[in-house]
Amino acid sequence: MSDLPIPVTDDADTGGFWEASAEGVVRVRRCDACAAVLHLPKVYCHRCGSWDSSWQDVQPTGTLYTWTTTYRELRPGFTPPYTVVLVDLDDAPGARLVGYLPGEPDLRMGMAMRAEFEPRGDTTLVQWVPA
Amino acid sequence: MSEAWAGRDATAIIGTGNTDYSRASGRSVLTLATQASLAAIADAGLEPGDIDGIVRCDFDVVTHNDLANSLGITDLTFWGSNGPGGSAPSAMVGQAVGALMSGQARNVLVYRSMNGRSGFRLGKGRLQAASGPIGGNGTYEEFFVPYGLVSPGQMWAMLARRHMHEYGTTEDQLGAIAIACRDRANANPNAQMSDRPLTMDGYHASPVISSPLRLVDYCLETDGACAVVITTADRAADRPKNPVYISAVTQAVIPDMQGGLASPVLMRPDPMLLPSTQVAAKLYERSGMGPEDIDVAQFYDCFTITVLVQFEDYGFCKPGEGGPFAESGAIEPGGSLPINTSGGNLSDGYIHGMSHIVEGARQLRGESTSQVAGAETCLVTSGLPITTSGLILRKG
Repeated sequence: MSDLPIPVTDDADTGGFWEASAEGVVRVRRCDACAAVLHLPKVYCHRCGSWDSSWQDVQPTGTLYTWTTTYRELRPGFTPPYTVVLVDLDDAPGARLVGYLPGEPDLRMGMAMRAEFEPRGDTTLVQWVPA
Repeated sequence: MSEAWAGRDATAIIGTGNTDYSRASGRSVLTLATQASLAAIADAGLEPGDIDGIVRCDFDVVTHNDLANSLGITDLTFWGSNGPGGSAPSAMVGQAVGALMSGQARNVLVYRSMNGRSGFRLGKGRLQAASGPIGGNGTYEEFFVPYGLVSPGQMWAMLARRHMHEYGTTEDQLGAIAIACRDRANANPNAQMSDRPLTMDGYHASPVISSPLRLVDYCLETDGACAVVITTADRAADRPKNPVYISAVTQAVIPDMQGGLASPVLMRPDPMLLPSTQVAAKLYERSGMGPEDIDVAQFYDCFTITVLVQFEDYGFCKPGEGGPFAESGAIEPGGSLPINTSGGNLSDGYIHGMSHIVEGARQLRGESTSQVAGAETCLVTSGLPITTSGLILRKG
């Protein structure tokens, strides 16, 4: 497990996501003025020009947008086969998160997914499994 | 009808060059760049001292001053770089066009050189050697690499699965693209896959790398280099070979494009909406042409699915119908749009899109190993989906 990469969690724009995951919460950045979801997280809203944005808790549920199962070792720590899922957040449609699943799980497009929280080093990753 | 673009046919490719393509060149990227550049300069009937502008790709190890020194160029008045990576080549030509039209240079050399197999292998991702915490500083890689999403192949595989889901695209349709490129490579003695035929049975026997994409849906990894020389249309008239006019060139992004490199593309509101739609619209406007005017195309083909979606984005078929178009025969010799006539990234060699420009120019000079009879125009596209760029070339 020590080979698995650790995310940067103290970036000025994205750190709030990792603070939330450490609390077992999924949180997205949202514009206070026009309510656009600013994902991937950033402060300034390119839709309306507002500097006012904040972190908002969302339900830890989503739907499966697409996935791929990888059969080659691309990086130490990720033993093939393994699967990467891309999940649309139910509370923030169009905002997506990826997750790792070992092996070749039985998946269907559009299936319901739920978040699980995986400790890794001093950080916590949001992962996704079939609901 | 909008006013004609000032750059239309104002500049021309006058020389092309490339090295051999291999898995182990045994040479430095500087040597490869020098070989390809000298070939392109000689093809233009020029001497290295005639080159006063150089444009490179941001991923290239070789810099403008490395190459100028290697070639013995002493009067360099313009240089630039473009990227990221494979999205660069057409845009690099665009920088050359700008430099020529504004009088900042008279003859511009555009090149790409890489030991893409024996050196740094892009297919394992840009961060393959990174240690310590991953991401931050606007890269957003903290949302991808810790989950095992590290390579462009995985990203395109996920887009391919989505395209299959939305439109019923099939593996056989991807296979038709792989086979078309391979057949063209089989006619090209310099192609890495020159003597390796591919059938549909062979396609299905190829191992899955990241589902649904197989090894033969992936481009090659190549050691090699390509270069072209570009000048103004009036100077091009004095060169030994027929000029190949640049009728249009552009770069493009889409709204909500996302920052970072490849994987953040998946976080766009609609990941299937690609900037090639914008490049297509601008190229047709600038050239005064439409898809029906294009005789042959060199599509950037990091993966078969990348070509399939561009059939739609460049208007050769309706949205969602890239699959049926791929297996219609249109992309074969004698079809309405023969593609990737040297074999492309998939079967000629992966020079990050630069070989597509070389082959586009050769088609319009009658020098291709899969010559399209009577070809007057060629579309050339560069990498996507982060940003992209493209060219329309016209026979001189």
